[in-house]
Amino acid sequence: MTSGTNGILLHGATSGALPDDYFTHVEGVGAIPRDIYKHVTSNPFGDLPRYSPHIVIQHFLVFTSFLVLAATGIPLHYSDTIWAPHVIAVFGGADMARYIHRIGAAIMVFGSLYHLLSITGSTIQKIIRRQFDIKRTQVPLPKDLFDLIHDVKYFLGFVKQRPKMEKFMYKQKLHYLAILWGTFVLIFAGTALLFPEHVAMLWPSNSAFVQAVARLMHADEAIMALIVIALWHFSNVHLTPGRFPAQWTFLTGRITREHQIEEHFLEYLRNLAEIPEEREYMKSLLFELKISDTKGES
Amino acid sequence: MKLKHLLMGMICTALIGIGLAHFSPALAADKENCLMCHKYRYMGIIDEAGKRKNFNVNEHLFLNSIHGKVACRECHTYIKKFPHDPVKEKVNCANECHVKPPFAEKNFSHKKIVKIFDESIHGIKPDDSPEMKKAKPNCKYCHQNPLYQKVENTRVSFDKTLARCRNCHEEKGVEQAYKHITHRLRHKTTRSSREIVALCSKNCHGDESLMKKLGVSEEAQEAVETYKESIHGKATTLGSEQSADCISCHASSLIHDIYKKDNPKASVFKDNRLETCKVCHANRNKHFIKIAVHPSIKSTKNPFLFFAEIGLRILLYGVVSGLLGLLFLEIFRRKRDGIRMRLKAGTSWRR
Repeated sequence: MTSGTNGILLHGATSGALPDDYFTHVEGVGAIPRDIYKHVTSNPFGDLPRYSPHIVIQHFLVFTSFLVLAATGIPLHYSDTIWAPHVIAVFGGADMARYIHRIGAAIMVFGSLYHLLSITGSTIQKIIRRQFDIKRTQVPLPKDLFDLIHDVKYFLGFVKQRPKMEKFMYKQKLHYLAILWGTFVLIFAGTALLFPEHVAMLWPSNSAFVQAVARLMHADEAIMALIVIALWHFSNVHLTPGRFPAQWTFLTGRITREHQIEEHFLEYLRNLAEIPEEREYMKSLLFELKISDTKGES
Repeated sequence: MKLKHLLMGMICTALIGIGLAHFSPALAADKENCLMCHKYRYMGIIDEAGKRKNFNVNEHLFLNSIHGKVACRECHTYIKKFPHDPVKEKVNCANECHVKPPFAEKNFSHKKIVKIFDESIHGIKPDDSPEMKKAKPNCKYCHQNPLYQKVENTRVSFDKTLARCRNCHEEKGVEQAYKHITHRLRHKTTRSSREIVALCSKNCHGDESLMKKLGVSEEAQEAVETYKESIHGKATTLGSEQSADCISCHASSLIHDIYKKDNPKASVFKDNRLETCKVCHANRNKHFIKIAVHPSIKSTKNPFLFFAEIGLRILLYGVVSGLLGLLFLEIFRRKRDGIRMRLKAGTSWRR
């Protein structure tokens, strides 16, 4: 490798102004520089495990049903616009779209329950096997806030390296919590809209208020979800450099090596411990780049 | 050869034409030959206001309409001589005409329904203001002598139903009656929900300034607007046939008995709502009927929802701009750091 010798590698390695945690020493591999992700080779379809087939299926269920729900629901909310009748016509008119919306909702509820069951099951399994580690979950921790601050500093150029993040970084935890909350609100408000007679019996004294809140929340939460997904999530997984044209994780359940190291460095260290082939790969890469083990310890 | 073909063609066309003419409906309604003049397309006047009025009657359309069997002067009773003077009077739908329905002995009349209509909020009352009198609709505002519409065979088996009628009734009369009433058996109205809403809004209830002038309640002034905010209104706007329109709730099956909601006779009177909502909401209950059908979010009426809506909007803008801001910062910095758009040769980074 030419870059190893001419010093482009390892940002600032020659300048001497290295932060203390620039190298991470891994037993049997060597000293891994933080920006090694710029030098690894990746398979676009993923090198390292990230999601189980269950999660891949759940994502499919939720995103297909979400698109159908949005396509049948948003025209109804904006029924007085010029485009709404044309969109609803695709689904066979307003009366047919109602039923399609309910089928979509049933699929989404099923996907959500499936997800809750599968994560609860696997969490219990991990606790029993004493493999459970809260840092590898979606549970938000104070570190996520510090990571966000660190990352903004990196984006603005105040620090040279990105934070070392876990399997789920602050962005994903935020998004996951938003989906949990959003799905909860949409399912409950939607149920109130679908069964107004029964919901009125549950809150007899303020049935009108409950219905009004359900109407407001169902529409507003849906629009928020749609905008966040259309503008932010799509950009993150399709348009952002390094992810274009698509981050194939949603199909393969695997993540590229460069992505794992860049945004989920701590998870990558666990991959090194768990996957011997990955250890071998990193070791030979470090050798090729002429990064000696001793340099890491200094 | 060619001439022979041409002649054959002409003869065939003529025969078909004669056949068609033979089977066209009999000119029963126009015994007095009113169409002698009224058949002309541009038969009409320009009135004192300079407005053109057309009095042409399309014979074919009229004969196939609801009133196709009724002679002209049975409704236009004020015409006594020929040629007649300019018409000043209006048709009275409560007249008796000389048509006997196949199932009755008496002459036909719309008297009963006109009485119900006159008693309803839309009937002209002695103490109405002149504007109010002018604004109130008459029969013809909604009923424009429509053509017969046969109900789809898929929904009502036409022959099966008719076969049962023929057990007692003569075929000819019963078919006409059947055509006349079948479209009322399935839907409250012939018009679609969207047309009903348009008709009620167009010249009257959708005109907020007129409503204000007529002194109706604030709630009624914005009734169309709030209806369109409701789920019924939104579905109707998109062409739903299952969703409730104005008269689904504001009238019983009599259609014309529309009253203000504080009148005990009104279908939307608080004690009648259980019955009215039942038509669509079979499981309705006394708590369900409190739900707003004309929802409006106002700071004075429901401050919680009003501020919740503003709060949600601010949250939306905040979240979206924050996330997109972060995204652009991220893309900008990582591009500067050497990332490229595409994963090429196993890496996205410029080496």
